[in-house]
Amino acid sequence: MMLTVNHSAWDFKDVKPEVAVLPLACFEPHSNYFPVGSDQIIMSAIGEAVAQKLEETTFLLPVWPFGTSGHHAGQPGTVHLRYETLWHVVRDVAFSLHERGIHKIVVLNNHGSAMATTTKPIGNFVVKTAVRQLNYENPGIRTIWVQPFAAGRDKLSELVASAKEEIHVGAVELSLLMHLLPENEWEGPQDHIPDVDPTYLEFGPFRKYSPNGVWGNPSDASRAKGADVMKIVVDETVRYIQETFDHLKEIKEDRGGEY
Amino acid sequence: MLDKFSSSGDLRNNSPDIAVLGVGAIEQHGRHLPIATDWTQVKEISRRVAEELGALLLPAIPFSMSECHGLMPGTVYLKPETLSRVIKDIAASLREQGIKNLLILNGHGGNFILEPTIKSLNRRYPQFSVLMPAEVWAPVEDSPTIYETAGKGIHAEEMETSMQLYLNPDYVKDDRMDFVPNVGREFLDYAVMEEINPEGIWGLPSYGQTDKGERGIKAQVQSVLKFVEEALEVLK
Repeated sequence: MMLTVNHSAWDFKDVKPEVAVLPLACFEPHSNYFPVGSDQIIMSAIGEAVAQKLEETTFLLPVWPFGTSGHHAGQPGTVHLRYETLWHVVRDVAFSLHERGIHKIVVLNNHGSAMATTTKPIGNFVVKTAVRQLNYENPGIRTIWVQPFAAGRDKLSELVASAKEEIHVGAVELSLLMHLLPENEWEGPQDHIPDVDPTYLEFGPFRKYSPNGVWGNPSDASRAKGADVMKIVVDETVRYIQETFDHLKEIKEDRGGEY
Repeated sequence: MLDKFSSSGDLRNNSPDIAVLGVGAIEQHGRHLPIATDWTQVKEISRRVAEELGALLLPAIPFSMSECHGLMPGTVYLKPETLSRVIKDIAASLREQGIKNLLILNGHGGNFILEPTIKSLNRRYPQFSVLMPAEVWAPVEDSPTIYETAGKGIHAEEMETSMQLYLNPDYVKDDRMDFVPNVGREFLDYAVMEEINPEGIWGLPSYGQTDKGERGIKAQVQSVLKFVEEALEVLK
């Protein structure tokens, strides 16, 4: 069972959800052509599907719409937070849930990339620190983070040849957008995979490496693939979350800790 | 209007001179209203205002200063410093792309950090204006003609119940527990809602009606538009 923000406080008293799902997004250009709120659209759909599919009773939070998109600063439509700000948002939201009895919190840290893993994210890197500190500083809290494209990386790369080379407006992301917004026009940017390691996004702006704002092969996208991407990333994210909480329970119980 | 569905190219071609940011809250609203009440209302009002202004509508912030409800479930908050940082970062992002004005519409009465944040931004960046109506939820002229209990409630009361009946009717329940505390609003500086009224209500929700919500939303939009017109004129 899933509660949302359309339920009342008394519904929360009755149901006492066990797990909260907090999706994060970024508000940033998706080339010149596609919505600046693409990540919010994607994370709203993934967040809801994941929260519905988890075994536990869940609380689906609204998508937090702004991330650390400083590498797109100054481009029309970029709204970016400093890393300390996003850290404090995640900290406050998770802590307020914990204080009110929801101790297992899943931060869906934007969609990520099949290039990334469940160990090292791409984008919003500070969320890893935020999650660590929440767990170290608050006994009894169980906060985890995951990026859905990273959770589904192996299956995504069977579906899209360039999946593990893509970061932004590639075939994986664009296919998903086509699936979620079938009425929109999805023509525009050329394929572009920069010849540098993505680590360089920490040293210079996105446009330096990709003048058209693309890091991937959008020409390989299709609406049919989008339906498959959705299924893969939701299933694999749910599987990762469930396994992570199970392992965490074993570790904490073995140590005689409170779970 | 430009919004999250617009592209970077749309924004470049239309160069909006004002962005609209709603600040919502996720917090207990008694037995009968959704915890998203403030967020739902401010999203609707922000969208209508942005349409009239041809503005860039930013996604409304869902969470804000809701610690005032104590430990009641369904409440998710940001600390005041966090909300202030968020506003400052959004303002900086808009300045970087050449947008000249930010209109903030505050959907939650407890966000007292917004005013000092805005004042500090306006002093520091004279070429960039951050505007916020003094009382988003009180269109002073129309309020008493719309709401029978105007002035008696501040939370989950006649006005919010009416607006939810209009905007979100499937999620409004029947058990509306009227309660008007015999203390001033400043008591929320000294105690939390849970202590003042464990039912989480301050006002008279039993007076809520759909048509009052519809008229109330329209009046809010008009009062905000009037404020923006005056403020931009004064600041010119």
